[in-house]
Amino acid sequence: MAVRREKAERLADEELMPLVGRKDPEAFEVLYDRHGGAAYSLAYRIVGNPAAAEEVTQEAFISVWRSGARFDATRGSVRSWLLSVVRNRAIDFLRSKAGKAPKLDFDDESALEQRPASERTEEEALRRETAGEVRGAIGNLPGEQAKVIELAYFGGFSHSEIAQMLQLPMGTVKGRMRLGLEKIRGELAEGLA
Amino acid sequence: MNGIDHTQWSEDLAAYMLGALSADEAEEFERHLDGCERCQGEVRWFEPAVHTLPETVERQQPPPRLRAALMAEVRADARPQRGSEKRRSWSWFSRPAIAFAVLFLAVAVAAGYEIGKGGSDGGGPSRSVVSTSEHGIQVKMVREGDGGTLHLANLHQLPPDKVLEAWVRREGNVEAVPALLVPDRKGEAETTIADMSGVDTVMVTEEPQGGSEEPTSPAIVTMSVPQ
Repeated sequence: MAVRREKAERLADEELMPLVGRKDPEAFEVLYDRHGGAAYSLAYRIVGNPAAAEEVTQEAFISVWRSGARFDATRGSVRSWLLSVVRNRAIDFLRSKAGKAPKLDFDDESALEQRPASERTEEEALRRETAGEVRGAIGNLPGEQAKVIELAYFGGFSHSEIAQMLQLPMGTVKGRMRLGLEKIRGELAEGLA
Repeated sequence: MNGIDHTQWSEDLAAYMLGALSADEAEEFERHLDGCERCQGEVRWFEPAVHTLPETVERQQPPPRLRAALMAEVRADARPQRGSEKRRSWSWFSRPAIAFAVLFLAVAVAAGYEIGKGGSDGGGPSRSVVSTSEHGIQVKMVREGDGGTLHLANLHQLPPDKVLEAWVRREGNVEAVPALLVPDRKGEAETTIADMSGVDTVMVTEEPQGGSEEPTSPAIVTMSVPQ
């Protein structure tokens, strides 16, 4: 039997998940109300337009509804897990768009499609990079570290793609990623101290 | 694992956590991670940093229709299938407000009822009934086999906390149609009714998000269904 909405609202996320796993709509609704905004914002940040963000968010939440039992509390919070589901869906969406077959007519758009992959990737990266404001923890990073983290996490690019587009050795890209994460982690630790 | 080898894993760790390794590289890293306490410790240390990233994005307001569509799908999925569903035994006319609305609108809809030409064409594999409600909502019920599809057009946009819910009356009992109706940008919505056997009336009401177990507001559409 479904728990009533008022009761669900009093439960912690981790307590809601078993109910979602048992197909309780009220528990799911509370989960959406708590995290739907963050999920949609993340999807929007990655895919860059409202319609696609809506689609990605809906797909992600439906997948959570259907696989709620897969949440593992030992791996982090429900919110982090949920946002990682959204992120993965959004990146898949970007990749599926990028991987579509080029059109056969010769208008401007098809000319763009015919450019070398690296050139398309760079343009796409620039669009995604400027789509949102870098804030908070990333905003405090040195630019080169913020850039590689942005391109990887929000752009879905691999370290080798990033190395190619920034014309850097792969080791440098991976090093900047690590330094950036270390700095963010250090600031979080300081904040907790 | 010697020290030189481990430097490589340490370099890969941040890329792995940011999802920036290729599938093969990630798989290889995970194999290493399974047996490396040092890397497991680093992953645990870095996790809060990675979890912070989605929180840094500029906050956007999701459109209300996203919640409505999501909950409609979830409610439909959660509801037991017909056959195992508990039939509600309260009468269609058990609530005065609803009874009044049903009677009033049944008359209004009947005036615009079309059966046969442009309406029901009972001889083919599908039959349709069209009408216009007192609210100007265009209603089309298409019967196909044992089931049917209810199409609504010219709907007004709903408040964010409301959805439309369809109901069927079968042998005097009212049953909720599992999938809720959410108007699209053109003011159209549709839902499928899996089993139309014995259904004599279809009704639509405005309900709170997620739908209701029984109608809680006057019907905006009431359509008699010819047997």
